[in-house]
Amino acid sequence: MAAVMWIEVLARDGDVRARQRVDSEEARIGRAFDNDVVVDDPHVAPHHLRVSRGEDGHLVAEDLDTLNGLYAEHGAQRVKRLSLAGQPGLRIGRTILRVHDGAHAVAPEKPLTPPRAHARWDVGLTIALFLLILFLNWLNLTTEASANVVLLPMISLATALAAWTGLWAVLSRIFFGQAQFALHLRIAVTACIAIVLWDLLTETLSFSFAWRTIADHAALGAWAILGATCYAHLAAIGPRHMKVVVSVVMALVASGAAMQAVTKSELRETLGQRATLGDLRPPAFRMVPLATADEFFNEAAETRARVDRARTKEPPPGSPLGDFD
Amino acid sequence: MRHLLFVVLFAAGAAIAQKPAAAPEGPSAAPLPLSSTAERVYDYSKPRIVQIRTLLQAAGRQSSLGSGFVVSADGYAVTNYHVVSRFALDPRTYRLEYNAPDGTKGALQLLAIDVAHDLAVVKIDRPDLPFFTFDARALESRLPKGERIYAMGNPLDLGFTIIEGTYNGLVDKSYDERIHFSGAINPGMSGGPVTAADGRIVGVNVAKRVDGENVGFLVPARFAAALLERARKGPPLVVDKAREEVGRQLDGWQAAFYDALKAGGFRSTTIGPYRGLESSAPWVTCWASTNADQVPRPRTAVNTTRCTSATGIFVSDRILTGRIDLSYSYYKAIDLNAFQFAKELSQRSGVAGFDGRAGKRLTAQECRDDFVSTSRESKPPLLATWCMRAYREFEGLYDATLLVLTQDRDREALLAQLTMQGVSHANAVALGRRFLEAIEWQR
Repeated sequence: MAAVMWIEVLARDGDVRARQRVDSEEARIGRAFDNDVVVDDPHVAPHHLRVSRGEDGHLVAEDLDTLNGLYAEHGAQRVKRLSLAGQPGLRIGRTILRVHDGAHAVAPEKPLTPPRAHARWDVGLTIALFLLILFLNWLNLTTEASANVVLLPMISLATALAAWTGLWAVLSRIFFGQAQFALHLRIAVTACIAIVLWDLLTETLSFSFAWRTIADHAALGAWAILGATCYAHLAAIGPRHMKVVVSVVMALVASGAAMQAVTKSELRETLGQRATLGDLRPPAFRMVPLATADEFFNEAAETRARVDRARTKEPPPGSPLGDFD
Repeated sequence: MRHLLFVVLFAAGAAIAQKPAAAPEGPSAAPLPLSSTAERVYDYSKPRIVQIRTLLQAAGRQSSLGSGFVVSADGYAVTNYHVVSRFALDPRTYRLEYNAPDGTKGALQLLAIDVAHDLAVVKIDRPDLPFFTFDARALESRLPKGERIYAMGNPLDLGFTIIEGTYNGLVDKSYDERIHFSGAINPGMSGGPVTAADGRIVGVNVAKRVDGENVGFLVPARFAAALLERARKGPPLVVDKAREEVGRQLDGWQAAFYDALKAGGFRSTTIGPYRGLESSAPWVTCWASTNADQVPRPRTAVNTTRCTSATGIFVSDRILTGRIDLSYSYYKAIDLNAFQFAKELSQRSGVAGFDGRAGKRLTAQECRDDFVSTSRESKPPLLATWCMRAYREFEGLYDATLLVLTQDRDREALLAQLTMQGVSHANAVALGRRFLEAIEWQR
């Protein structure tokens, strides 16, 4: 097999600015015009680097005693020789180069999303979402139906969806080059469906098990869905520093969830628990066996222990003083 | 539905300089025109009445005002507990002072309290004041309805005042014994004396109803006489322990109240296809309401029965306790499906009861839910929620509420709620249990 290597000069934004095929066993790189690859960087020596094959056949870069030296792409340590077998990137002066052996394996072909596939999904999912909401609104309708009651939530949701998707499309256009509106809409609508179903599930389980803790902590699940949604949007944009951006967004989502949890627990100390289980379902949804009166009042004695503990603590600051109205 | 409002008589305002009183003279028993009787009663009473002021220790200024009257040569005086409650509960922040009609002022010593009847006995540090005696007929509740009686005090800090009114016997359907006085009682007169035409004590001003005209309430004289006796014979109240004493009395009150409730008996009441518990005690009054005449036509028919004891114990500015409420609402869907009906119930069940907020006096509410069956054959399955909150200052006293929803039918249900204020855990659970077990199908 003929020895082929490709040398890529990267621009500052990480894009490949120039790619040079070298057919010889050795490549010379520098600012001078007798090199195989010429680099326009004042911090690069006229003859800066030699890339050749080591005894094991792998490519090795070698510093030609320059002022500024040779570094691995992300390395802070100046090196004399750098093996390019596993990591093709290197830095000379302010320039980043990548040297690929002709034998380097490349990633397999990615399946192409068929044209208009996202748009078709959008139509299906959006119809599903609105039908779902319409259906749930109908199940919760206890007064006479009116266009106001039915349509207002739908219009607000549509507006919010458009705004959210638009924002991501703009970011996508800036950082990825394409708006990918259909893809972002698909992600957003899927997230909405997930949140609506999650809400429905937790409220139902909360009733089914007569266990209000489930509904009380349902918000954590919603925050997780929000986090996953942001991840999906970011992955679609594919920013260069994906890891950093993703961790920042995840940290924001996590701190949002934590803040809400703290507020909730403080509110519980001030406002107390509500005197009802919460959202009810028809009796057939009950999933726990019936307790006896003894069992119920024994469990209920726990509330006494709790308020007895709270009694001895200082009242929460800034709590409303009205104890009876 | 009527709102019962128990109004406590306080007034805060600028102090008014008192003119020296005329020398006291006993009123004669000879019949005279009514107005001149009042004149003589007032002349007789004026040196025996005092204004009782609760001062903020740090500022040395009044924070609340009431009235009181001297009942012994050695300076014992009677007033309302609510007039001295701030001092009793917080003796480090407040102090008590009297203003005698001759312009003298001085410190007051708190000797005894009776929270249940809203009375207190204080001692004036002056032995030379003339004093009232109790009306023997009033002590034995032999006063005729319609007799003219005279209420005195310092309303709204406007100066000492006499009000001529009518004795109307004891209030019907009331757990607490209260005299119904037809005359204007106003804030600031609390703790003032009410006498017969001969100047003998019949009762003590305590409250009025704001939804009526000239409907005042007096504490019967015999409770004041009893407390005076206790103050003389018993050990004096240790002011720093007054709070414990209030707690003991509240506990005693609720024990007696729940015993009386039990003694009054319970009967079964029908609500739609269900049956529930109702008190037969004469002082528990029930009201019914419906949404049948609502426009637009409701999609759920609601029929509610609500019973209340209308008892109210004043403990402090922020605590009015000692009441029970018992309500049943029967819901029947007109054209709602099972899910819509469940939603309707979720929206309705959140409204009743005390709010669960935490404050200086009460902890936040804690609740517990479960599906319960008290008997599988004759009674429907239930969804029950039990909530409690504790009185911070009084150990062992709670507000408790039990919310019960029947779970046997898709499109009709009984929503039952029991609310108890200022109750011990044992009494709350006993009545709660009785309430829960009484819910059954109509046979």
